[in-house]
Amino acid sequence: MNQTKEILKTIGFTMLSIGLFLVLWTFLAVRNPDFLPSPLICIEKLGQMMGRPISRVSLGGHILSSLRRVLLAVFFATLIGLPLGLAMGWSRKVNAFVAPIFEFLRPIPPIAWIPLVILWFGVGEVSKVFLVTLGAYVPILMNTVTGVKMVPPVLLNVGRIYKASNVQILREIVLPAALPAIFAGVKTAVSSGWMIVLAAEMMASRSGVGFLINRGMEAYDVAMIIVGMCIIGVVGYLISIVLTFLERRLCPWKTNLE
Amino acid sequence: MENKSRIKMSLQNISKSFHSRKETQEAVADVSFDVYENEFLVILGPGQCGKTVLLNMIAGLESPTTGKMLYEGKEYHGVNDGFGLVFQKTALMDWMTVMENVEFGLKIKKMPKEERRAIAQKYIDLVGLNGFEDKYPRQLSGGMKQRVGIARAYSTNPGVLLMDEPFGALDAQTRYLMENEILRIWEQDKRTIVFVTNNIEEAVTLGDRIILLSACPARVKDIYIPDLPRPRDNISTEFLRIREEIEANTDMAL
Ligand SMILES: Nc1ncnc2c1ncn2[C@@H]1O[C@H](COP(=O)(O)OP(=O)(O)OP(=O)(O)O)[C@@H](O)[C@H]1O
Ligand SMILES: [Mg+2]
Repeated sequence: MNQTKEILKTIGFTMLSIGLFLVLWTFLAVRNPDFLPSPLICIEKLGQMMGRPISRVSLGGHILSSLRRVLLAVFFATLIGLPLGLAMGWSRKVNAFVAPIFEFLRPIPPIAWIPLVILWFGVGEVSKVFLVTLGAYVPILMNTVTGVKMVPPVLLNVGRIYKASNVQILREIVLPAALPAIFAGVKTAVSSGWMIVLAAEMMASRSGVGFLINRGMEAYDVAMIIVGMCIIGVVGYLISIVLTFLERRLCPWKTNLE
Repeated sequence: MENKSRIKMSLQNISKSFHSRKETQEAVADVSFDVYENEFLVILGPGQCGKTVLLNMIAGLESPTTGKMLYEGKEYHGVNDGFGLVFQKTALMDWMTVMENVEFGLKIKKMPKEERRAIAQKYIDLVGLNGFEDKYPRQLSGGMKQRVGIARAYSTNPGVLLMDEPFGALDAQTRYLMENEILRIWEQDKRTIVFVTNNIEEAVTLGDRIILLSACPARVKDIYIPDLPRPRDNISTEFLRIREEIEANTDMAL
C-alpha cells in the first residue's frame, strides 16, 4: 500500500517535471516562433520525418546507423582498453611503458583528430568509427586500470594460498573483482561515444542523427534540428537504461540482492 | 587430550622484520613452538603484535627473515598444501555464491566440477550453511561469512587449519555461538587447528594449549595448558583462575 503510494508520488513528480518543461518551451516558442518552434510543431515534424525517408533512409534507419557506429566503436575500444588496462593495472612495468603515451594522448579531444582522420581514412564509415573509438577507449582503459589496482590484496592471497597461476588469478579473481569498474567504464564509453558520433556525422555523412541535424540546418528547418536533438536525448536515455539492465545481469552480486 | 607425542609442525627461531627506507621494524622475534597432531592450539597476543605476520609465514604467504619451519618433519618454504587459512577479514569473493566460494580452492586445483561440488557440499553442511549455497556473501551475516571462510579452508583437506582472529569482527553473542560451533566442527572433523585471537576468554574457552605472545615484536611469553573438560564453563573457578593468570602476564589490557 505504502509502496504504491510512493511510486505514484514519484511518477507524479516525473510528470510534473516534463509538464513544466513543455510549458516553458511553449511559452518561449510562442514569443519567438522563428527561432524556436513549439513542441506541437516539432511533434508534427517528427510525424512527417517518420512517414517519409530523408535522403532515402528512414528515420529509424538514421538512428540505427548512428547506433551501429557507436556500438562498433565501443567494441573496438573494449578490445583495446580492456587488455591494456588489465596489463597496466597488473604490472608496474607495463604501466610505466604505456602511461606516458596515454596521458599525452588523453587530453586531445576526438574532434581535434577530425582533419587527420579525414586525411588518413577519407570521410567514410571507417573514419567515423575511428573517431568514436578514440573517445570511447579512454574511460574503459582508465576504469580497468583503477579496477585492477583496487582489488583487495587479501583476495590475491586467497589465490596464492591455493597456488593459483597468474592466469588463474587474473581470470578468477582480478577480472571479476574489477568487472563493476570496467562496466562503469563501458557505460561512460557508450554515452560519450554517442556524443562523438553526432559530431562526426555533422562533419560529413549521408546518414545518422547528426546528418539529420545538419540537413535541418542547411534547409533552415529549425523543427527538424530540434527533432534531431530530441532523438539524441531520448536514445541516449534509452541506452543508459539498457546498460543498467545489462549491468544487473552481468554483476548480479551487486544489485540482485533481496 | 589426544596423543600429544606426534608433532605435526614446528617453528624454530622464526623472526620477521620489515625494512623501510628509514627504519627496520621487527614484527616477530625468535618464535619457536611445536604444534601437535589434532590439537586445538591458540595463539594469544595483543593487537598489532605480529599475529597475522606469524600466521602468514606459516601459511607460506610471507617468508621469515630467519628461522626454520617444518611440516610433518620436513622443512618447507612458501605455500604448502598442508595448510588451510581462514582469513582475518573474511576474504570472500563478492561475485561468488557460497558454493562457488567454498569450492574455489578445488577449482583452482582443477578438480572436475561434480567432484568438487560434492566435497564443497560436505563442508557447507559441516559448518551449518545448508540451504545457503546460492546466496552471495552480501546476503549473509558476519557469522555466516566466517562459516563460509571456514568451509573454504577445510575444502582442500589440509592437515593444519590456520585461523586468523576469525571471530574478531563479530558481536559478543555471535562470537560465543561461533566458538561453540568451531569446537563442534573440530570434534566432528578432527584435525590440527592453530587459532589466533586477542581475546583471553576466547583463548581459554577454546585452547588445548595457549601460546601467549608479547607485544611487538611478538615473542613467546608463556604457554598455558588449561586442564578443563569441554564444554568449558566460563565461570568455573579453574577457568577464572587461568584467565586471571594470563591477564596478569599480558603486555597490555586486552
Ligand atoms: N608488509 C608489511 N610491511 C611493513 N610492516 C608490516 C607489514 N605487515 C605487517 N607489518 C607490521 O607488523 C606489525 C604486526 O602486524 P600484524 O598484522 O601481524 O599484527 P596483528 O597482531 O595481526 O594485529 P591485529 O590484532 O590488528 O590483527 C604491525 O606493526 C604492522 O604494521
Ligand atoms: Mg592480524
